Amino acid sequence: MSSLSVNAASGSFVLLQVGNRRFALSAANVAELAPPVRLHAFPHESALVIGVIVRRGRIVPVYDVAPILIGRPSGTHRFYLIASRFFDGVPEPSAIPLHGECELANGEVAPAGPGSPSYVSGNLSVADQQIPVLDLEALVTNSAATGARDAAFWSKS
Amino acid sequence: MKIAAHDSAKPRRSRAVESMILFTVGRQLFLIAAEAVQEIRSTDGLASAAFEIEVPELPKVTHFFERRNRAWFIVSACAHFRLPVTRPMLVLILRQARAALLVDHIVRMVEIPAVHSLPRAFSGDERRWYRGLAYLEDQVIPVLEPTGVLTRGEVARLDSHAATLVAAGDILGGAQS
Repeated sequence: MSSLSVNAASGSFVLLQVGNRRFALSAANVAELAPPVRLHAFPHESALVIGVIVRRGRIVPVYDVAPILIGRPSGTHRFYLIASRFFDGVPEPSAIPLHGECELANGEVAPAGPGSPSYVSGNLSVADQQIPVLDLEALVTNSAATGARDAAFWSKS
Repeated sequence: MKIAAHDSAKPRRSRAVESMILFTVGRQLFLIAAEAVQEIRSTDGLASAAFEIEVPELPKVTHFFERRNRAWFIVSACAHFRLPVTRPMLVLILRQARAALLVDHIVRMVEIPAVHSLPRAFSGDERRWYRGLAYLEDQVIPVLEPTGVLTRGEVARLDSHAATLVAAGDILGGAQS
């Protein structure tokens, strides 16, 4: 954990904003919040990946999860959240464009409601709000078709 | 919540530098190891020696030419990387594969200190297309994997088509593998 100094203890979550919606991600997965540095794009065939950024001397893939979460590409964003994905047990930093400030929160996590997208592992109770807790791995491996359906789910909820 | 300071990118590994060719396909920059390229020709210079070939499942290959009694297949880099069609001016004849790549423009030779692995997030055909990524003058540029231009299976299929053309007398000479 670097300059963000997130408490990685269980039960700690980073609240993040994508579009005008708030989501929660386990703080244990989050490394830092980075400024909107230059995105480098090149031809590829991987869904949701829009390019790479360079962060601390490492090349970090950028996932635009906004089409799944809010039904449209992220467009102009303010930060990158750097979180870890694991491939065969090896962590790989991954960047997610965000539209607003992040904050840390602790709270009770209730099971996800019926019909919730597969990448929602529960709902975090914070100040009388129920904030969906994202499963990063399930989110970024979500198919485009599922994404469209899930965007419709969020628009109704 | 504090935001980490902006940091400048730096190579993570120190290795012997590698000479590479920086080239363009449309507006996209690519790198290829200089030692992976046998020869660079103009498309005009190769036109008279190239024969048309049409394999429906491999539209990226439109021509081939003979070299040392073997067929070498000309691959459109635009089609290979699924980029918008351009008007290529040059052909990079590869050393490790019987393929020649149609590209737009050679920018210059560069020395690359490190090739970074392609992040695992990239899981599509690009894992075959690229050796990795290089950082050059504030840009991340994909490094082409020469053996990924045509697979062995694709070369075998193309050889078969080329041999058929030769047998049918559609072309002069004896292009075959």
